[in-house]
Parts: sequence; structure tokens; C-alpha cells
Amino acid sequence: MSVVPLILSGARLFAVQGSWNYDRLLGLGIGYAAEPLLRDLPGGRNGQRYREALGRAVAPFNAHPYLAGFAVGAVARIEHEDQSEDLARFRIALRGPLGSVGDRLVWTGTLPIASALGLMVGVLGPTWLGPIVLLVVHNVAHLWLRLWGLLAGWRLGRDLIRALRAPGLMVALRFAGPAALVLLGMALPLAASWMLAEFDLAGQVAVAAVFAVTFVIGRWFAPVLRGPLLGLLITAAVLVGARL
Amino acid sequence: MLTTAGLLFWGLLVGLDLISVPQVMISRPLVAGVGAGLLTGDPVAGFAVGVILELFALDVLPVGAVRYPEYGPATVVAVAAAAHTPIAGGVGVGVALGLGIAYLGEWSIVATRRLTSHHVQRAEAELDAGSRGALSRVHLGGIARDAVRALSVTSLGLLLAWGVRTWTPVAGRTAILLTAAMTGVALATATMGALRLRERRRAISWFATGLGISLVWVALR
Repeated sequence: MSVVPLILSGARLFAVQGSWNYDRLLGLGIGYAAEPLLRDLPGGRNGQRYREALGRAVAPFNAHPYLAGFAVGAVARIEHEDQSEDLARFRIALRGPLGSVGDRLVWTGTLPIASALGLMVGVLGPTWLGPIVLLVVHNVAHLWLRLWGLLAGWRLGRDLIRALRAPGLMVALRFAGPAALVLLGMALPLAASWMLAEFDLAGQVAVAAVFAVTFVIGRWFAPVLRGPLLGLLITAAVLVGARL
Repeated sequence: MLTTAGLLFWGLLVGLDLISVPQVMISRPLVAGVGAGLLTGDPVAGFAVGVILELFALDVLPVGAVRYPEYGPATVVAVAAAAHTPIAGGVGVGVALGLGIAYLGEWSIVATRRLTSHHVQRAEAELDAGSRGALSRVHLGGIARDAVRALSVTSLGLLLAWGVRTWTPVAGRTAILLTAAMTGVALATATMGALRLRERRRAISWFATGLGISLVWVALR
């Protein structure tokens, strides 16, 4: 196979969640991204094999979007090897690992790391540099996961689980979370000091008081009351207070 | 007029980025805020709004089908409301409006997903038969619906931001108090979000390590 279908498939992975829905979840996105890799099945685009493979590819599926490439590559490889008899079971088996690895690595790892670094750099240096640092740090991991996932899935097919046990990935999974927590711990006081510089003493006391009250309520008394909702409730209180 | 068009386009891009395409995180408030700040000619206000809403966004864990506020277009709207006002006096009003728009964004995402489900159900037979045309139609249609959604949320938000700037609901000490309150809630939200990232005792120890380093740094500056 030429490299063009892989490039097309890789590009389509960036829109893998474009049709996310409550019926098939990520299924249609997986099918859309896998479609270029299925075009050279025997019979071509109008052939029976292609249509059957595409029909199977759009079945319900879910995964972390950055790791969806693993599934796209593997599903296409299995169709090429004509071993699709238990593809549905294979897809079900993939959902858990591709979801949990992505959540641990990205949502609780690289994204908070990038966010914390962006906040720190923006506060300590020129403000415009903060967003650039966030984007660069996050997307190094993001692009690597998309590319590596697709190529590993396409290369390994059913043996995909070997890629998910790669030593580098294990190390990243182990250290991403703690690194995110340390960096967030570093970023929050810096962000706070940057914001506090805008207030007089009374304003700074107000920030500290609201922080303490919100933290106690949100952490121990009413965890269901999330920050944004508390923010809106406080806004309503301030507006009513101002009218009175 | 050009600024409004720019903000609408930026709101569309950051709205699409969150879920549909390309998920490179321009939808993060820090990025969306500075971008909107540059468009309005007040990058510092954009950064200030971006910092506060980024702290709120650190509480979000977008796993599975979980619902969460959408901060991208909300940040664009918040910056439009807060630009060219004193940071302590104007950012709070913008952030408060942004939080409301973030919830509107959340609701609109759920509605769009339901609509896409409806289209999937209608095309079920074609999809299962391996129709490339049906797949492209439903998938690209989902992206188009998300674009319309992002543009609608941003448009409504910018209209409200214009209203807020015209009829200033709070001013003076009240506006400063609102900014202080938003800053305090945002810091508490980010702290609670960080402590949820990992198992409790270990999370606290790692977080406390970073906190200690930073507090020494802040004290020595």
C-alpha cells in the first residue's frame, strides 16, 4: 500500500469526534478515518469487501480521541488480512484500554502539565508566550500519540496490545500524573500573585476569603456544587447585594 | 465591525476545536483569551480573563460522555465584555458572563449530539451496508452542525457582552468585589480539580511539593 491512504487517514483522525453521538459514540469517526485504508481491498471502492468492511468500521465504539488511531489502524489491518470474523469482540476489548490510557496520559497528565506551564510562563514572562507554551507542550504529545497510534495499529493489527505495553508509554503513564500535580501546585500561587497585584488590601482579603469558603464548601460539604456554578451563585449574590 | 467579525470567527474556531476538529487545544481559555485580547486590542485583559477561566477549566475531566461547561467561546465573550476596562474593575463582569455562556455551550453540545444521533438513526441501514456517501454525509454533517452551534453560542454571547458594556450592571467597588470573588472561586476550583487528578493522599503530597516550591519562589521575588 502507498503512503497516501495513511496520510489521508491520519488527517481524518483530527476530526474523529466530528460526529460523536449517543448511538454509536465514536463509531462513525473511526469509520471515516479508516475509509482511505480500506479502498484497496479486493474489488476496490465498489467491491463487496470494501462495503462490508466499512459497514463494520462504523459500529459503536469509544476511545480517547487521541488514541483512536490505534483502533483505526488495527481495524483496517484486520480487514486486509481477511480475519474479520470476531472483529466486534476485538473492538470491544480495545475500548477499555484506549479510553483509560488516554484519560490517564492526556486528561490527567499532559494537558494539565501544558496548562500549568502556560500559566507560569505567561505570568512570569511576556503574556503572549503562555498560550504558545501551552500549545507546543500539549501538541508534542498529542501529535505523537495520533501518529504513533495509527502506525502501530496498522503495523500490529491484532497484536496492538504490544504497543500499549511499550516501556516508554508505561513510564509516561507513571510520571505524567505526579508531574501534573507538582506543576499545578507551582502554577496556582504564581497565577494568584499575578491576579492579587491588581487589588488593594481589601480586595486581596476578599479573594482569600472567597477561596477559603469555596474550597471548604466544594471539597467537604457540597462536592456536587462545582466551581462555575458557585461562581454564578456568587455573581447573583453580588448583583442582588449591589441592588439592595 | 471588523473586531466583531474577528471575534465571531475566533469563537467558531475555538468552539470547533473542543470536540470536532482539530482538538489542538486552542479552545483552552488561556489560548482563546489571549487570541481574543489581541483581536480587541487589549491582550492583557485577554490574558487576565484567560487565566481565571483556565483555572475553572482545570476542574474539567472530559472522560467518556461526561457533560462539562464549554470554555472556548465563553472566553471569547468574556474578553469582549472585559476589554479596555481596568483589570480589577472589568474582568469579574466578563468572567461572570463567560461562566453563563460556558453553561449555554454545555447545553448546546448535548443538543447537537442528540441531533447527530437522530441523523445516525435515519441513516442506519445505509451506514451498516457500508455506504461511503452516507458516512461522509452524517460525519461531515456533524462537524457542520458543531460549527453552527459554536457560531450561535458566540453570537449570542457577543450580543450579551455588548449589552453588559452598554448598560454596565455593576461598577466601582461592586465590580472590584466581583472580580475578587471570581478570582477566589477560580483558585479554589483549580485546587479542587488538581486534587481529583490522582488518589487522594498521593495527590496531596505531590501538589503540596509544587505548592511549597512556588510559595518559596513567590516569597523570594
